[in-house]
Amino acid sequence: MTSPNTNKSTGSNSDSSAIPLLEIVDLHVNVEDKEILKGVNLTINAGEIHAIMGRNGSGKSTLSYALMGHPRYKVTSGKMLYKGQEISEMSPDQRAKLGLALAFQYPVSIPGVSVSNFLRKTVNAVRGRDIPVKEFRLELKALMAKLGVKDEFLSRYVNDGFSGGEKKRLEILQLSMLNPSLAILDETDSGLDIDALKTVSEGVNALSKADTAILLITHYQRMLNYVQPQFVHVFQDGKIVASGGSELALELEDRGYEWVTSEMQPTPGTGPNATKTSSSSSSSSPAVVGAK
Amino acid sequence: MKMEMETVMAELKLANTIAKERVADLAQRNGEPSWLQDSRNAAWEIYFQSPMPTTRDDDWRKTEIDNLDLSTFITVDPLKNKATKAPAMEILQSALAKLGEPAGLFVDDYESQTQFATINPELAKQGVIFLPLTEAIEKHPDLVKKIFETGKPLASDDKFTLMNKALFNSGLLLYVPKNVVVDGPFVSAVNLPVGPTGQAVFPRVVVVAEANSHVTVVSAFANTEAEATDKSVTGTTLSNSFFEITVGQGAKVTVMAVDKLSNSVFAVSRVRTHIHKDGVFNLTTAGLGGKQIKSDIETIMVEPGSHSDIRGVVLGDGSEHFSYNTIQEHTCPDTTSNINFRVALKDTSSSVYQGIVKVDKIAQRTNAFQSNKNLLLGTEARADSIPRLEILADDVKCSHGATVGPVDKEQLFYLNCRGLNLKEAEELIVRGFFVQILDDIEIKGAADWVGDLVADKIYK
Repeated sequence: MTSPNTNKSTGSNSDSSAIPLLEIVDLHVNVEDKEILKGVNLTINAGEIHAIMGRNGSGKSTLSYALMGHPRYKVTSGKMLYKGQEISEMSPDQRAKLGLALAFQYPVSIPGVSVSNFLRKTVNAVRGRDIPVKEFRLELKALMAKLGVKDEFLSRYVNDGFSGGEKKRLEILQLSMLNPSLAILDETDSGLDIDALKTVSEGVNALSKADTAILLITHYQRMLNYVQPQFVHVFQDGKIVASGGSELALELEDRGYEWVTSEMQPTPGTGPNATKTSSSSSSSSPAVVGAK
Repeated sequence: MKMEMETVMAELKLANTIAKERVADLAQRNGEPSWLQDSRNAAWEIYFQSPMPTTRDDDWRKTEIDNLDLSTFITVDPLKNKATKAPAMEILQSALAKLGEPAGLFVDDYESQTQFATINPELAKQGVIFLPLTEAIEKHPDLVKKIFETGKPLASDDKFTLMNKALFNSGLLLYVPKNVVVDGPFVSAVNLPVGPTGQAVFPRVVVVAEANSHVTVVSAFANTEAEATDKSVTGTTLSNSFFEITVGQGAKVTVMAVDKLSNSVFAVSRVRTHIHKDGVFNLTTAGLGGKQIKSDIETIMVEPGSHSDIRGVVLGDGSEHFSYNTIQEHTCPDTTSNINFRVALKDTSSSVYQGIVKVDKIAQRTNAFQSNKNLLLGTEARADSIPRLEILADDVKCSHGATVGPVDKEQLFYLNCRGLNLKEAEELIVRGFFVQILDDIEIKGAADWVGDLVADKIYK
């Protein structure tokens, strides 16, 4: 067992006295009266990169929507503490101002609103001040160059007629401008060709700083070649069933999600790269295998 | 002074109601030629015979026509006093600030009871006429007579068009000779009267663009809001306008029409345009306020190669009601028309959009497209969209689409996640909704101007 973070007090970047950036405790979430998240425990400290992997329909995206406060996703029990503050009752814009940001899997288009106008409005809103136009331009141009985004992008309507890759680039461009303390990336790798994946990943890596964290949701290992998480969690049927280090992702790629269910569930402790726990609710440590 | 005014009003009311006597009176006052007097009288006769529309008529559904008592209105006198400079109308100032130097300027200001009209002298030299209609009749009687042939009262005209043809008491003539290409826009602004008594105004606007000419017209109807204390005594103003536009062979006419009226104005208007061979007509209408706006936009493609583009930007709030009917008539082969109408409604405001595309049997290879999108911003706002196709030819491409609904929740969530609250998010989406139309306006500065007017109302 080589998991770097067997419990939170020894987490690589955490200080035992510090409040975690994000602490999710036994989170249950319903969508239209159907329970989708069934007791999620997850702790993320500043400076960490976490990956959540799992099949389609396992509840990964639900977690990201619940974290941002999508009105259709109702928290029925459990806690979501951000910097020690319960955020369940907060509106999405309040959460954004606290420092959470989600790069959408399927960003919607906002026809008639240009990318530049949109960026200015949203960045000003999140930062809580009107950034002088010149300063804003400089900052934006620098980031655009890094992400390989052309100037003509700015005059186009937000996501309107964008290719899959363009949408993902815009998401990362936005997050780079918003500079969140927790960036949640929902399948940012899907729809990207290899070159785009590389550039976007570089953008994602740039979001990672000592005082920020990244939660990366994906079902492929390929992005993890470029963005290296310290923690990998496997989602299944609305909760985390296994956690480990980055090698867990490789293992999954190799053996498929079946392996987690078939091999790990009946006889706890046999997973080569994961630890076990007897109770998912008693531990908020990411490095566990749910055995329920 | 006020008492005096009221007495005067009472006296006027007797003589100036919507009545046959007034038709003759207007013709006489203006010293009109007999053919025009006859035309007014003929219009009155048909008007008189035709039934008053009711909300049971398709065209008037959901309007407050049943509450409009025509006998309570006095028809205002034509404005004769000339202003030495353009009256300081808010909407005019905002327009000129964005549009730049106009080719000509026409203002009927019922507040100061003055009229103002001017034209770039270079254009006048080239034979362009831009005059108040009464003056045009005096100075160019033969031309006006010829032009009015197409505007003769018809049995098929609706009641309000006939009312205008009988009682028109303001308006203008814009005539562009062939091959003259006018750069800047002709700007016309009307500041409607608002007062204690119901007043009726009948502007008639005639635009003729001869072969291969190009001309742009910007028209604004507005009124000064009555002081809050006067609201209880404010009568309804009836504005019944009629625009007749002729687009000659190979000519291009671009029009931007803005209605920014208060809750005391009941505005009825008809824009009737005939487009000749290879002519192009672009009209953008912006309904930005009024107790009731009822507008018929009738475009007739009379010769092959003609094309029309009709766009609508409608933003209602309070209890405003908007009723727009677009009628595209394809009467010959090889013509095209596009309609793109967008409506957003706040509070309890409501709208009805009806779009009819008529394609005659001989009008083969017609392309006609129609789109109407409605955003309901208030939970009690209501929009109806009724597209209709009457196609008799068999080789045509026609399509229509309509949507009615609230702002997309996923768009709102996306913007919320980027730090905008619900109100800010909605405002941005609505502005974008209209920008998609405004972006297509070819008149320099007009998109900015109308965009600002729209934004003012969104953020109000």
